[in-house]
Amino acid sequence: MSAEVLCADHILETRGTSRDLGAHVVACAFAPDGSAGFALGDGTLRIATDGEWTSIAAHDGAVLALAADGRGFVTGGDDGKLRRIAAGEATTLADFGSRWVDQVAATPTHVAAGYGKKVAVLDAAGKTLKTLEHPSTVTGLVFDAKGKRIGASHVNGASLWFVAAKTDNPRKLEWKGSHTAIAISPDGENVVTAMQENALHGWRLTDGQHMRMSGYPSKTRALSFTRSGKFLASSGAESIVLWPFFGGGPMGKAPTELAGGDNALCTYVACHPQHEAVAAGFSDGLVVLADIGSERILPVAGPREAGAVTTLAWRPDGTRLAFGTESGFAAVIDFSKK
Amino acid sequence: MSASQTQDQVPVTVLTGYLGAGKTTLLNRILTEQHGRKYAVVVNEFGELGIDNDLVVDTDEEVFEMNNGCICCTVRGDLIRIVGGLMKRRDRFDGIIIETTGLANPAPVAQTFFVDDDVRARTRLDAIVTVVDAKHLPARLADSHEAADQIAFADVIVLNKTDLVTPAELEAVEARIREINRFAVIHRADHGNVPVTQLLDQGAFDLERVLARVPEFLTDDAHEHNDDVTSLSFSVEEDLDAEKFNAWIGALLAEQGQDLLRTKGILAYKGDDRRFAFQAVHMIADGGYIGPWRPGEKRESRIVFIGRNLNRPRLRRGFEACRA
Repeated sequence: MSAEVLCADHILETRGTSRDLGAHVVACAFAPDGSAGFALGDGTLRIATDGEWTSIAAHDGAVLALAADGRGFVTGGDDGKLRRIAAGEATTLADFGSRWVDQVAATPTHVAAGYGKKVAVLDAAGKTLKTLEHPSTVTGLVFDAKGKRIGASHVNGASLWFVAAKTDNPRKLEWKGSHTAIAISPDGENVVTAMQENALHGWRLTDGQHMRMSGYPSKTRALSFTRSGKFLASSGAESIVLWPFFGGGPMGKAPTELAGGDNALCTYVACHPQHEAVAAGFSDGLVVLADIGSERILPVAGPREAGAVTTLAWRPDGTRLAFGTESGFAAVIDFSKK
Repeated sequence: MSASQTQDQVPVTVLTGYLGAGKTTLLNRILTEQHGRKYAVVVNEFGELGIDNDLVVDTDEEVFEMNNGCICCTVRGDLIRIVGGLMKRRDRFDGIIIETTGLANPAPVAQTFFVDDDVRARTRLDAIVTVVDAKHLPARLADSHEAADQIAFADVIVLNKTDLVTPAELEAVEARIREINRFAVIHRADHGNVPVTQLLDQGAFDLERVLARVPEFLTDDAHEHNDDVTSLSFSVEEDLDAEKFNAWIGALLAEQGQDLLRTKGILAYKGDDRRFAFQAVHMIADGGYIGPWRPGEKRESRIVFIGRNLNRPRLRRGFEACRA
């Protein structure tokens, strides 16, 4: 074994750019121009472009949510504002008053922002098209792969809305309890939520079949389907937990567990946009890339003092991975061929 | 809870009290008084607080039942989310104050701090402070369960609007509060004029202090109407058997948890020189060792119950049967 393999930071050191940003990294995302944005608890958005780092004041308070749309970054803050940050400038898209804007999702053509029980849907120009009402506060917000539907999690289930519908009646997916995160499979046929009781709940939309996935020692924060939709990766256990969505699964099937054994909780997952691979972050700051087919694990960074990994994101072309931690360490890794 | 407490945990004060008791006035005092500390404040009626504070969070109380087979385990989903959000700018404040609505049952707030792992890891419930109106409390107690529950859950009671009652009425209302909860600290006030130091950073849920102020055994319980909230305490001088205690308290909470609003105890287990602290809100219980008995401290086990339908002889027999 060479010394290089033993060093967990080898990839970070040879292929990464990193900074200590000094505040909780809430979320990261890649803009259409390929730059990585990091939303921070101090209200700023830090942007890394080819190793250059810049800072933009985004919110008065903390940035609570971040997404990339067709023009740049969109952020939600605890100042009640929804802002767009593009070409080095921040503009206000909407002001929701005293409510936290803690959920933001976007496609190249639409932006959705959750504030309290409501979700505002805006077009790319920032015009509010409609406001969707939910029975309780929206805790997770996601567009499906085609950008045609919006899923929102809340108490006692999730609501599924058509973006372009003339009349707004959601398909209600019901299951008693508090649902705190949501994902839609790439084929649009499965909706999965994370629950307060350390479990996942799913609905197969074709026939309404319920799916229950349990056994986690803590709450799941991150859910991510692989590109093929064959696996759902999840955080919340001491390994990456991958549920099979094929061959009749996940019902009655055991999940695949990868990168376990270090007594650290997996705190975030993000599946690669092209390959059957998943990047995962852990409570001790470790970041790994796991190839699902071969079950091979590539250490990317850490463990380090900067605390648990709070966010991970892939550039849509799959060549860059960004991640951030609780105490403000942030990095972008270049996985392109050299 | 105390076993895992660290300096990093943010103290949380829950401010409860019936409509019109003076909660908002008290909150305004806390926020304007110069005490050198910054508080994030969670409120339900944003407009009522006439204060510009960027750390005021507007929320709707969202209570939901946990799917854990425990019928009275309800928690505040909005608080779990807000605590998570506030922790993203942890360096900006020293503590969190949560104001509940006037009609709120305090149990879901308290249970949130027992049940959710993320909330437990980052915060500690410092005290439940209940504001009561000296003039109107008797009427409130007569027409609602919530008024009694709010007193029962309190660690600190601000007996407000004392300027509106006669000394005799004040004595009577204080005696009535004592019948419900004889363990809370009572501060008499008008216009919420209680020093902030008497309300915040009390460490009231810190089990090390839980029973420090338990008054000595009172044997006369003049009022034990079944529907009234009362409080009882027992002590045992001999050491307890941990297994027997767990079996007894587990069965008791399962059977009567809905009636038992709060249960707290400091226990001396046989063969252990450390004090074991125990507390529960309804059926949700928590416990841990809190360090050795202090020199000169009487090694005895004490337990306190605050709730409805408390059967004194039965509870006493049950507790005494836990002796090793």
